[in-house]
Amino acid sequence: MFRYLPEQASKHAADVDWIHNLITDLSVLFTVLIVGAMLYFAWKYRKRNGVDHETPQIEGSHTLEIIWTVVPTIICIIIAYYGIIYYHDIRKVDPNAMTINVTGQKWFWEFEYENGKKTTSEFVIPVDEPVRLLMQSKDVMHSFFIPSMRVKRDVIPGSYTYLTFTPIKTGKYQAYCTEYCGDSHYAMLANLKVVSRAEFDAWVEDKGKIITDPAKRGALVYKAKGCNTCHSLDGSRIIGPTFSKLFGSEREFADGTKAVADEVYLRNSIYNPNSQIVKTYSPGLMPVFEGQIKEEEMLDVIAYIKTLDGSQPVVEVEEEEVVVDPASMTPEQRGELLYKNNACIGCHSLDGSKVVGPSFQGLYGRQGEFEAGGTYTADEAYIKESILESNKNIVKGYAPAMPAYQFKDEEIADITAYIKSIK
Amino acid sequence: MSHSETHAEGTNYLNCQKGIWSWMTTLDHKRIALMYLFTLTFFFFVGGLSALVVRTELFAAGAQFLTPKQYNNFFTIHGVVMVFLFIVPGIPAIMGNFLLPLMIGAKDVAFPRLNLLSYYIYIIGAVMALISLVPINTLPFISQGFSDWLVNTAGLGGPVDTGWTFYAPYSLAKSGTQSAVIWMTGAAFVLGFSSILTGLNFIVTVHKLRAPGMTWGRLPVFVWATYATAIIQTLATPVVGISLLLVIMERVFGVGIFDPTLGGDPILYSHLFWFYSHPVVYIMVLPAFGVIGEIIPVFSRKPIFGYKMVCGATFGIALIGFVVWAHHMFTSIGDTAAYVFSFLTFFVAVPTAVKVFNWVSTMYKGSISFNTPMLYAMSFVFLFMIAGTTGIYLATLAVDVFYHDTYFVVAHFHYTMQGGAVIGLIAALHFWFPKMTGKMYNETISKLTFVLVMIGFNLTFLPQFVLGMKGMPRRYFDYTGLEHFDLLQTLHATSTVGAYINALGYFLALINLLYFFWFGKTKAPANPFNSLSLEWQTQSPPIHENFAETPIVTDWTYGYGTKKDA
Repeated sequence: MFRYLPEQASKHAADVDWIHNLITDLSVLFTVLIVGAMLYFAWKYRKRNGVDHETPQIEGSHTLEIIWTVVPTIICIIIAYYGIIYYHDIRKVDPNAMTINVTGQKWFWEFEYENGKKTTSEFVIPVDEPVRLLMQSKDVMHSFFIPSMRVKRDVIPGSYTYLTFTPIKTGKYQAYCTEYCGDSHYAMLANLKVVSRAEFDAWVEDKGKIITDPAKRGALVYKAKGCNTCHSLDGSRIIGPTFSKLFGSEREFADGTKAVADEVYLRNSIYNPNSQIVKTYSPGLMPVFEGQIKEEEMLDVIAYIKTLDGSQPVVEVEEEEVVVDPASMTPEQRGELLYKNNACIGCHSLDGSKVVGPSFQGLYGRQGEFEAGGTYTADEAYIKESILESNKNIVKGYAPAMPAYQFKDEEIADITAYIKSIK
Repeated sequence: MSHSETHAEGTNYLNCQKGIWSWMTTLDHKRIALMYLFTLTFFFFVGGLSALVVRTELFAAGAQFLTPKQYNNFFTIHGVVMVFLFIVPGIPAIMGNFLLPLMIGAKDVAFPRLNLLSYYIYIIGAVMALISLVPINTLPFISQGFSDWLVNTAGLGGPVDTGWTFYAPYSLAKSGTQSAVIWMTGAAFVLGFSSILTGLNFIVTVHKLRAPGMTWGRLPVFVWATYATAIIQTLATPVVGISLLLVIMERVFGVGIFDPTLGGDPILYSHLFWFYSHPVVYIMVLPAFGVIGEIIPVFSRKPIFGYKMVCGATFGIALIGFVVWAHHMFTSIGDTAAYVFSFLTFFVAVPTAVKVFNWVSTMYKGSISFNTPMLYAMSFVFLFMIAGTTGIYLATLAVDVFYHDTYFVVAHFHYTMQGGAVIGLIAALHFWFPKMTGKMYNETISKLTFVLVMIGFNLTFLPQFVLGMKGMPRRYFDYTGLEHFDLLQTLHATSTVGAYINALGYFLALINLLYFFWFGKTKAPANPFNSLSLEWQTQSPPIHENFAETPIVTDWTYGYGTKKDA
């Protein structure tokens, strides 16, 4: 009876549910017995015909008092014992547990893996392997609760707390904030995906595609930092002002002054939100993002907000797209980024076709002749020379059309690595 | 025992003096009780209406008519008003004040002037609480400059949105509407004084003013319950006073106590808060136990079963209640502390169970009539079984990990607070209505409102247990997109419908009692229910000084049995 607990997705869930259901059965039994006895007495000893009958002066019974003191005491001690034993299991950390750092902040969750991969509002763990969440809060108290895993722990500013469990089923689960933390407490959710070890490895190593469109990168920052919790894109008012048609509009502040929402205003509002509060909005709600959003990300966010002027559709980002720090990329990835950002693609194809200059496909190691005579082998030195002094030696069949690029040595090495990868 | 009916025909405490001034300056415990009754009823409806606002918002998924901030304001108002302004003073201030001197055969409480002072301290606290709930900066008739001064300098930027627990460091933020927290905590501090003074007054009254022959072993169970409550009030309330004062120090002077950015510890706040707020649960519910212990013997024509155990259990609960506070914090305290507090918490269950067994056994071989007070008392046993058994889940460490801060907890404490304290108060108001007003209430209408209250209450809170089982966290403005969304929606809608029926029930019950108070034709006899305790041995309503001559007690209060062969 009353078996309503959600799916058991962690190793210890079955134990918790067992003691839970034992309490349920005992509770139902005792409630039925006691309320049943009360109703039976009420019916059997009811006053008849409006006249009281004589009643005995029963003042108590030592035997009964002892029974109904001792029996509940024993039952309580048994339940308390199992509650404590299972709690001990819930809290015990396996020495092989993978640690994920969790940061709670009004009103989103951030996750950081051992290899530096970071996610927001979503985390992935491998099935059948113990995991430990090491949690901290950047502002007020939060609490991390995954119903299907039967775990919950408060997340406290100024200290670390932890949660540990071993998932036993793959699937999608939810995590909630369960310590009241203000306006968007109800929206402070996170998604948990439990996947196979192989899927997990692929996921955790994948540090994302390179995105060249600044507005698109800005859209990712908007999502990753949880801006969407308070700032809408469709003109509706949530907690803070909408981003729709924000850029270039005139803002009126609580003190009556006005300003146009330009780049300077937007940067200030993000890094130092309480300095300029728009009329009818409350100060103190928006976290200070100084140190959280980098300067280059700031430019991306501004680029994104600029696109929201209603003249074009809202930039959509796919679920797996993630903004990454160039330092954590491979040389090929950085080379690809340089290739795209410097518009190399305009002249050098990747598929062997001839555009303006030679294709990059299979370029590395290629041998050929120059217009002015002589042969070359496309090695590191040749590629470097071709970029820095582009018109010195022109390959046969091409015009001297390429501008000289002042790349640094590291950048040239990255581009070379990228060219090497295009076979 | 009584001769007063013939003695002072026509005059009583209600009509012996006239005019509003005679009420405002009265030292009569019975008049002070009525003043509390009307004031507390007002706050019960303020708290109740804000609960309806919250339930209406939750009727369907998505935003209905509130913003998240307003939703948070309303559940805070509901919690603060219900806890600090209604239930904590609740039965002790109303029924305790009215009954305690009458039940022990005294003319008044030990310090009548202090009793009136307690009432006015309560009013000051209540006004401070109301001030912190006013959205000053939206009032049209206040100039911008003055409103800024009120919000920024006087800390009046309500309404507060911290929940009734004022958890640090959320409550310590100085910006926004949280600035009004200082007024709210100040209000709770002042209300605490009212509670301490009332408690002291009752303790001295029970010790010093018992009528000749009214030995400790002859005291009615309601007196024992009120006495135990008074001890908790006097010992626990200073702690919350201290912690709220520390919050004020931290906010005003920046002393680092709870705020981690100042080197403080937010968990320390939780400890201090619950060190008071857990025993306060028993301040709310012990007097209700006392009420039930009076009603069941009278309508069963039987002595209370196991008198010594019933009174002893009251003290057991009061004592254990002091050492279980950290069970509100299982998800934030260390593991060893959690083991100890979990184990201790189970020992609250034992004396509570003992009481329930004794109440039911009192009905055995009785002559039971089903007047409204008896119906409420029997429903109390049922509701408190649910309240008590669901408490077992929360005491069980491994299970509380799941239920902490979900709707299961919300449902559990509403079964104790509303199913226990409020139902106890309503039962008491019906039972002692003839004594307090000198009129009889209408049984049929009262039973009708009883049915409404029962249906409404259970319809509101039974679905919330299931919400909790599905992991639904409390204090959520919206539940769109949560796991088991369809079921959550159905349960929330049901709960809201229940809340409206429940509210209608209370409203009609109040109208019913008020109507018969003012317009009732049937004059109440001195002792309409043939009770043996002292308050029924004087006229209804009693004269100004309760008894025409000091009663002399020769017997135990519960000699209802007459049959020789038990």
